[in-house]
Amino acid sequence: MSKFSFFLRRFHSLIAVVPLGLFIFVHFMLNSAIFLGSDAYVTMMGFMRGFPFVQVLELLLIAIPIIFHGIYGIYIVYLAKNNVLQYKYYRNFAFYLQRITAIILVAFIIWHVYTLRFADANLAVMLHSPLIFVLYVIGVLAAIYHFTNGLFTFCITWGICVGDRAQKIFAICATLLFIVMSLWAVAILLSLALA
Amino acid sequence: MVDLKSVKYIKLRIKRRDDPKSPSYWQDFQIPYRPNMNIVSVLMEIRKNPVTADGQTVNPVVWECNCLEEVCGACSMLINGVPRQACAALTDKLIEKYGDRPIQLEPLTKFPVIRDLMVDRSKMFDNLKRVHAWVQVDGSWAIGRGPRLADKDQRIAYEIAHCMTCGCCLEACPNYNSKSDFVGPNAIAQVRMFNLHAIGRMQAEERLDALVAKGGIQDCGNSQNCKRVCPKHINLTAHIAAMNRQANAYVIKNFLDK
Repeated sequence: MSKFSFFLRRFHSLIAVVPLGLFIFVHFMLNSAIFLGSDAYVTMMGFMRGFPFVQVLELLLIAIPIIFHGIYGIYIVYLAKNNVLQYKYYRNFAFYLQRITAIILVAFIIWHVYTLRFADANLAVMLHSPLIFVLYVIGVLAAIYHFTNGLFTFCITWGICVGDRAQKIFAICATLLFIVMSLWAVAILLSLALA
Repeated sequence: MVDLKSVKYIKLRIKRRDDPKSPSYWQDFQIPYRPNMNIVSVLMEIRKNPVTADGQTVNPVVWECNCLEEVCGACSMLINGVPRQACAALTDKLIEKYGDRPIQLEPLTKFPVIRDLMVDRSKMFDNLKRVHAWVQVDGSWAIGRGPRLADKDQRIAYEIAHCMTCGCCLEACPNYNSKSDFVGPNAIAQVRMFNLHAIGRMQAEERLDALVAKGGIQDCGNSQNCKRVCPKHINLTAHIAAMNRQANAYVIKNFLDK
């Protein structure tokens, strides 16, 4: 029982990468159908909604991990006593931003899932509103930052990169991944809004 | 850059507290400028003549110091908001860096204040005991000298051995606070050192058990402030990452072995 908090924290870290991190890629790849035109996008969405056992997959690979990660994550946010004004270091700022994006994401994901999964709204129509477009860009960039910075700290948490040189290389890779994924996501949102 | 020739006074703004229960308050002091002073010698000047900048005679400022060469950690305090040792904080350098405005002294915030700049850092000692940070040689029979430590391990251990348990890393760590019982970066690094030691290694599992217990290594959030403020330049974040690797492997192995 004494290892319980260690187990929870490591589980929280692990599920963030598999399946949640992988899911972001799958999500973006499916969204990329919009680059082939709105017909291809609609066909792809129809295919995914009719996928065998889609609700079981959604529950096990997305819903349960994300709810656990979110709830335990809020507890982690509560545990920190942030001090970015006193210690103006890059990593300390990233630590703070990781927690800020966490809070943004809790709100964004609830809204995103409610409107598109349950209320069945049309995102392409929603994105015609400049306000919603901006909120979406903020939400998606927050998700990408939280994922890529989290991927870097994941490598430390699991003892994958230990030394300065390794940490530096992983940090650069995470930053490049953030830039690439951000461009990708904004292209998807723009294509959807213009479709 | 301030021309030190134009400086007439060394000005100080000190956060004071009369006893652990009473509220803190600020007091300004100034002493005639002299070259090559440090914060300890400035505090000694104030002790000789405890008069504030506005002429009021007060109780001398209480602080702790011991080695006067940045190896004991006793005089750790916040100097212009940075946790560091008063003995190694040279006033000329501070004035050059921050200008002629008062040098601000505060007690460390993560430890209970006893009086003025003096804090109770015994929590750090408790945390070292928690992770079994010593080589256990007391027993019913002599266990001998043990094998020699490889040179590459000596290098790692030597760096960690510079730790003076001063508390700067804990002061800067956002996850070391009253809401958690995080053991802290310094204790995690000590586990790495004692688990490298030829005889210390015999209690490696005991130390790893402590590291994965409540308030253990999992509470590190990778803000990496500890490494930035360490006065001994110990690469705490690398030691934490190395212990993450050991702790994870230990927990997984333990699970599979039983």
